[in-house]
Amino acid sequence: MTRPIGMEPSPLPAVPRKEGAARLRILVVAGEGAGSAALLQSLRQWADDGRLEVDAAPDLPRAVRLLAGQRWDVVLAALGERPDEELSWWADALRSATGGPRLIAAAQAPSMGLALRAEKLGVLDVLALPLRRDDLIRALERLRSAAGETTIPLPVVEHHAVGPNALVGQSPAMLDVYKLLARVAASTATVLIQGESGTGKEVVARAVHLHGPKASGAFVAVNCAAIPENLLESELFGHEKGAFTGAVTRKVGRFEHAAGGTLFLDEIADMSLALQAKILRAVQEREIERVGGTDTIPIDVRLIAATNRDLKDAIKQGRFREDLYYRLAVVTIRLPKLAERGDDLLLLTAFFIRQFAERYGKRITAISDRAMDLLRAHAWVGNVRELRNVIERGVIVANDETLRAAHLPDEIRGEETALTDRPQGGLLALAEVEARYIARVLAHTNGQIGAAAEILGIHRNTLTRKMKEYGL
Amino acid sequence: MSSPLPPVRVEKALELMPELEALAPLRALLISIARPDERALWSSSGPYLTLGKRGVDPDELRRRLPHALHRIAEHVHALCKTYVEALEARQRGDAAGVVGALVRGGHLEEEVGRFPQARAWYELALSVAEGLQDRRPEVDALRALGYLCLRLGQYAEGARQFQRAFALAEAEFDQAGAIAACEGLGDVARAQGEWGGAQAWYGRGLRLAEASGDEGKMGRLERRLGVLARKQGDLATAGDYLRRARERFEAAGRADEMARVLDAQGRLDAQLGRHTAAEAAYREALAWAQREPRAPGLELAIRLNLAELDLEMARWLDAEGELRRAEQVAIAANLAGRLAQIYTLMGKLRGAQQDETGFVFFEQAIELARAVERSPAAEAQVYHAYGLFRSRLGQQEEARAYLERARELFDSLGEAVERERVDAELRALSA
Repeated sequence: MTRPIGMEPSPLPAVPRKEGAARLRILVVAGEGAGSAALLQSLRQWADDGRLEVDAAPDLPRAVRLLAGQRWDVVLAALGERPDEELSWWADALRSATGGPRLIAAAQAPSMGLALRAEKLGVLDVLALPLRRDDLIRALERLRSAAGETTIPLPVVEHHAVGPNALVGQSPAMLDVYKLLARVAASTATVLIQGESGTGKEVVARAVHLHGPKASGAFVAVNCAAIPENLLESELFGHEKGAFTGAVTRKVGRFEHAAGGTLFLDEIADMSLALQAKILRAVQEREIERVGGTDTIPIDVRLIAATNRDLKDAIKQGRFREDLYYRLAVVTIRLPKLAERGDDLLLLTAFFIRQFAERYGKRITAISDRAMDLLRAHAWVGNVRELRNVIERGVIVANDETLRAAHLPDEIRGEETALTDRPQGGLLALAEVEARYIARVLAHTNGQIGAAAEILGIHRNTLTRKMKEYGL
Repeated sequence: MSSPLPPVRVEKALELMPELEALAPLRALLISIARPDERALWSSSGPYLTLGKRGVDPDELRRRLPHALHRIAEHVHALCKTYVEALEARQRGDAAGVVGALVRGGHLEEEVGRFPQARAWYELALSVAEGLQDRRPEVDALRALGYLCLRLGQYAEGARQFQRAFALAEAEFDQAGAIAACEGLGDVARAQGEWGGAQAWYGRGLRLAEASGDEGKMGRLERRLGVLARKQGDLATAGDYLRRARERFEAAGRADEMARVLDAQGRLDAQLGRHTAAEAAYREALAWAQREPRAPGLELAIRLNLAELDLEMARWLDAEGELRRAEQVAIAANLAGRLAQIYTLMGKLRGAQQDETGFVFFEQAIELARAVERSPAAEAQVYHAYGLFRSRLGQQEEARAYLERARELFDSLGEAVERERVDAELRALSA
């Protein structure tokens, strides 16, 4: 059920009209409330000023049906009594709509929480009901200005191929990595690679393997955090048939598969202490035993381990064996975060665009300035892996030779609102900064109020009050 | 300031919870608040994240406990109210009212997944109804029992209850009861892969519904006949039935039924190779499904079909996105049993990408089918898909072992159609 929607006359002068600019097609879904007819009527009245072609659908299901067959630039949806939930449904519904229309949501007294959620979902704007003409026209102008993006040709990127991946980047931080990699690869020393999630630990591990004396052997990667703890031991060391329920056949473990090559143990900090002891024995004795087996099997592998955690901290907390740490960290390579790599962002972007354009049979030669601005402004919690994912999605939806802001995923595109429409030279109101930061900390703590309050340095009651105030 | 303690993984948290019926609401709450660690999402293990690897914060669990306890109290209160209603009906000599109240008690138990308790209410209702001159309450009780049996995979017993209900309804000229019994009998036959039998019962129900002019029942039976026709490969007939059902439900504004018909239409379009039309049908189905009252189970089913469509079209990223959304719906709506199906598809997706680590999804799915869903049929489906996954990766010995396990389970359930499918794959493996 939707609440009645009203309208009020705009107190502001008309927005100057740009002659010759294209008309936008807008699909209005005003809901079922008493004010829905009035909203539609006012949209039709504003159509000329806003250079709009207005169509209407009675509700979400019918709008989805229309969107499957026709193309609109914008959908204006009036949200009802469950605005958060309805916003998600709209974002979901528009995901595969013809031509990728942008969503403008209208809600009674939208909260800061709704606005932040909308940003995450790639909504063009959230407007308050009763709808004001100038708010709507301003939101539409933002959409029009996106059409004026300028293109940046993709730079030529030198890269070092590493199996299916590549090492890309010329930043000082990466040059340090390359130098260390060159020194360590030639030996058979055990290497520990540290870096945040998505910084490319496996790519570096592969590079160490490929430039080392065991390059002719296999490179076997095991993700210790992905595999359930009860299965990890048999995955690593193998098992004999019938060793436990589910051991339906005899299985050769990854240590044996990596014989004569390299075994890469990713996310090693996630391993139990009991298994750490077995790894230590394998590293020290250079031999293993299959689960349920009695034979000792000699192993000849180079071991490379990686983690996104601080192992010294884990040792202090008793969650990681100190003796294993020193066995693994003969040489340590630390990978920088994407945010610390400066212009590598453009090089990586160009590299991934070319890679995915080739994979999906597209010709993309440039990126728009607006798309690049959005990429630069993004926080990249997932580092290079997140960038790669964003570019892959972008390339899939791109329909010309330039990767544009419109091709980027919702969560990045939603940040457009944060880049534009800032009063006084792009500055934010203090309350908005506070709300955004609180939302970020809450996301970091997975919504744990106690932990978030601790990070923010405020009492949990104060945080709860602020969350309520901002609608988070 | 020290950094906050990391959340406890669900697999570890569940290890500390004894398998007691009284703790089921706590288990459900724990699962529903489990979240992935934001950092883990982008780590190399992120793509393999399953329920067991999600995290739970004890502090949050403590904070949510009053809410969970409130829901338990509400449920018990509703049960007690139902009992009082039965008592009042007895006091005024309204035996049909007694049966109606007892059946409602069973429905309340079924809604929260307490199937043995639901059966106790229905059986009590039936024993009261059997002593009455008016047989319609007995038809209602038998139908409720029949659907419970169907839900639990007890097809033979379910068929018996529906048969009895049908015979009684016909004798009593209870048109509505007879239509519902036909629908139930058709459902049992369909669940066992007996297409001909299902078609006969649905057809009979439809004729009765047409005679009584009940548009809602006609639409439901037409949808079922449409689904059946699609399964039998008669796609034109399927399209015709579904169109008629859709027209009826749209005119009546039945959002949940519209969602079901469009979901069925999507599957038909997919089978016809009309992928764009299939996607449009699923998207519209989702839009109808979100109208009140919300039906997370229905939403989940549609999302799984969308994911299968993406898989078929090799749109890996979209398939993954849809499966993750389905996972979130299942976890938040306390439909953990359905996770086995989600993880099986996730494993299938990894298999298509030649990703060996995808086995973790099948392992988690087996565990869920055993521990949460407690369904050998679901377990058999997982083993079947697991076998195909291994086969795709060239691990023939393991593939054979998993397929044989699936065959064993299907055998024990008497599911001949599924067993034949597995046999065919085992033969292909040998060849």
